[in-house]
Amino acid sequence: MDTVHFRVERPGRWDNPFEPEFPDADLDRLLATAPFSGMQADAFPKTQPLRQILRNDTRLLRFKKGEIVVRAGDYGSSAFMIVGGQVRVALPPGLPDRVLGRRQPQKRGLFRTIAQLWSNPKVQEYRRPDELKPVQGAAHADDGGDVRVFLQDVPRLLDEHKTAVIGAGEFFGELAALSRMPRTATVFADSDDTELLEIRWQGLRDLLRFDPALKEHIDQVYRKNALQNALRAIPLFQHLSETDLQRVMAETQFGTYGDYEWSGDYKRLAKSGQLAPEREPVVAQEGDYPNGVYIVRSGFARLAKKFGSGQRTLNYLGAGRFFGLREIVHNWRNPASTIASQTSLRVIGYTHTLFIPTAVMESIVLPGAPAALLPVPFTADELDEDDDDPLKEQGGTGSRVGPELLEFLTSNRFFNGTATMVIDLERCTRCDDCVRACASTHENNPRFLRHGPSSGRVQVAQACMHCTDPVCMIGCPTGAIHREAAQGNVVINQSTCIGCSTCSNQCPYEAIRMVEARDGDGAFVTDRELRPILKATKCDLCLEQPGGPACERACPHDALKRMNLTNLGELADWLER
Amino acid sequence: MKNAFVVRRVSSGLVTLVVAAALVVLARRLAPQLRNLSYLSGWLLLAVMLFLTAYNARKKLPFLPLGKSRTWLQLHAYVGWLSAVILGIHVGWRWPGGWFEWTLEALYFVVALSGVAGMLWSRFVPRRLTARGGEVLFERIPVIRRALQDKAEDLALKSVAAARSSAIADFYIGYLADFFRSPANYWHHLVETRAPWNRIEAKFDDLARFLDPEQRKVLAQISDLARQKDGLDYQHALQSSLKLWLFVHVPLTYSLLLFTALHVVLVHGFSIGAGFRP
Repeated sequence: MDTVHFRVERPGRWDNPFEPEFPDADLDRLLATAPFSGMQADAFPKTQPLRQILRNDTRLLRFKKGEIVVRAGDYGSSAFMIVGGQVRVALPPGLPDRVLGRRQPQKRGLFRTIAQLWSNPKVQEYRRPDELKPVQGAAHADDGGDVRVFLQDVPRLLDEHKTAVIGAGEFFGELAALSRMPRTATVFADSDDTELLEIRWQGLRDLLRFDPALKEHIDQVYRKNALQNALRAIPLFQHLSETDLQRVMAETQFGTYGDYEWSGDYKRLAKSGQLAPEREPVVAQEGDYPNGVYIVRSGFARLAKKFGSGQRTLNYLGAGRFFGLREIVHNWRNPASTIASQTSLRVIGYTHTLFIPTAVMESIVLPGAPAALLPVPFTADELDEDDDDPLKEQGGTGSRVGPELLEFLTSNRFFNGTATMVIDLERCTRCDDCVRACASTHENNPRFLRHGPSSGRVQVAQACMHCTDPVCMIGCPTGAIHREAAQGNVVINQSTCIGCSTCSNQCPYEAIRMVEARDGDGAFVTDRELRPILKATKCDLCLEQPGGPACERACPHDALKRMNLTNLGELADWLER
Repeated sequence: MKNAFVVRRVSSGLVTLVVAAALVVLARRLAPQLRNLSYLSGWLLLAVMLFLTAYNARKKLPFLPLGKSRTWLQLHAYVGWLSAVILGIHVGWRWPGGWFEWTLEALYFVVALSGVAGMLWSRFVPRRLTARGGEVLFERIPVIRRALQDKAEDLALKSVAAARSSAIADFYIGYLADFFRSPANYWHHLVETRAPWNRIEAKFDDLARFLDPEQRKVLAQISDLARQKDGLDYQHALQSSLKLWLFVHVPLTYSLLLFTALHVVLVHGFSIGAGFRP
């Protein structure tokens, strides 16, 4: 019999406050401010009182005029409420990347390309002087440990760009925080005494759950700003009249599932071998009445079916994919022989969904929908419960890549990659031409490791996958890691990277390495306290090189491909070649 | 999309065959009209050889927009086959007489055959590596081998004190120390024979009969490490063979080019007054 050697405190909801010390006086002041002053304390459960949520999941921040609060395109896990002062929102087309501390990579010309023959530094991880100091137009300010970037020459920016002022009591950033979409606008402080309440997503989620007024307010903002565009972009809703669309929008419900910062838990569970579909939150259960269509808005979900005593993955659904539509269409066409949900929808990481009830689908959406957009009803063979080949029902890419590979891609979260480095081990001669090519194109520093998990003949190397859901970008204090404008690839601006390792720690795929910068003589660059200057490095898909990723071009045996794994068809085609 | 490789091989092979046949027919047609067809075929062969060698330069310059390596390799392979036909036309489909030409042609064939062998090896070995499993980076093999060796040695040494018997330690020194110290059974792994490992396994079985249950556990752990080492040797043998064939193909290519340059000088040097007449 095992013996208990030691006891630990059970981990709890309030173990990791956002701000270690939240002064009671500030908390009292906050509770006396709208909208918190109007919230019913009784509506919150005793285990999650409003005061405790605010104490644990919020923090008060003070900004000086011109300091950036959020940047357009960044990912963030928190929303903001203006407590005092005011902020400005940069209206479309927004502020240029240069002033936000970003640098867009530009393709090298022929001469610069050829010049790499003699101009590549002999020293590894060499950084030019301009990469070791802040980029022009932005600067760092150290305020209580927080790294801030402030805009320079604000009056000129205000002259050249359209902005709008929002003042005390207003919220911003809540949509990005809840839906895990990139921030849509840059917001910066407009007065020296700007005081903001930053609410991390856990707190916002609980506030919305227990305060209907705030939920209604956020829902309204969502419907007004994002829902219409989101639905209009989906072909199935494009035939609807404006009135019908408004009716659908009024009935649409929003759902967020899973853990926003899933990468930490994922890494821990993967290391301990405890990852299993059965542990994932269920959005819709196989066998239940299909009471509506789920549309994945962001994140990923696992389409699974009971197999033995576990769940077998049939496919994974990313942004824009439907769940439950086929069952609803089947029941709509066959009212005499309705069926239950044939599969389950389980959350992988964090998923934001739109939910449209069956009644709305049947009365508004389906009647006028083009037949080509509607899935075919289930056949008797597909509904046969004795059939033990669940992948057959998919009839699509899930069955083409096979159950083992599908499970491998899903359990390792590789579906997230838009440029995943996939290696066909049955053709790869392990010559490392890809690694040498990568090093040659990155000043003698390879930016990936030709090694990684594999399933059968498919290996996924440790190279940045340029994720659909780039968790590495959450929490970057300076916005150094960002999506470049042209193709949306994730890149790191060496000038504004402060070496905090947030991105490297967040990346679930170990694809970002922290390196110690060196000068031209090969000596480590240090700060005044002689601590080495760290920089985050990763694959940049050879954005500056003509011809695309050097690794793929260098493979003599057609064994390596940068692949969009959000679409299994590309992988299936490649494997069947 | 299915069998794209087969389609590519068949179509490229057919194109190569057609071009080769056209070259042979053209050479026969031109032979009576040209006084020195061998000059034309020789310069063509040199150009083809330079093109074939240029693939190595392409590999060294991955940042230049010179096309995909896989396209270059395809061209390298099929143009390589064509070079054999051009050589045949150049030498009149016979083996040369003089020692210099003999050496030159022998060099060509060694380069060509090493290329063909390397290509075939590169096609089959990756499948074997993947089927066996235990994928490991080649550069990491010495580190992993050392770790396995340390663990096995440690187990063998500790067994002496624990069991008051040197049976396992003696067995380790007698049969396993050399095996763990460096890569073993290189050729056996290349030809996929399990004979050496079967012999080691038989010795483990033989020793196990004389051990108590605790010692057997230790022996089982050492056996497991030995099995891992055998897998590592397999990776080492096959991965190094994939690299080593290039050490034959590439240096000999440069030797061939050197001899070819000398051949060109000699041919033109001795042809003055004999070959060209205005």
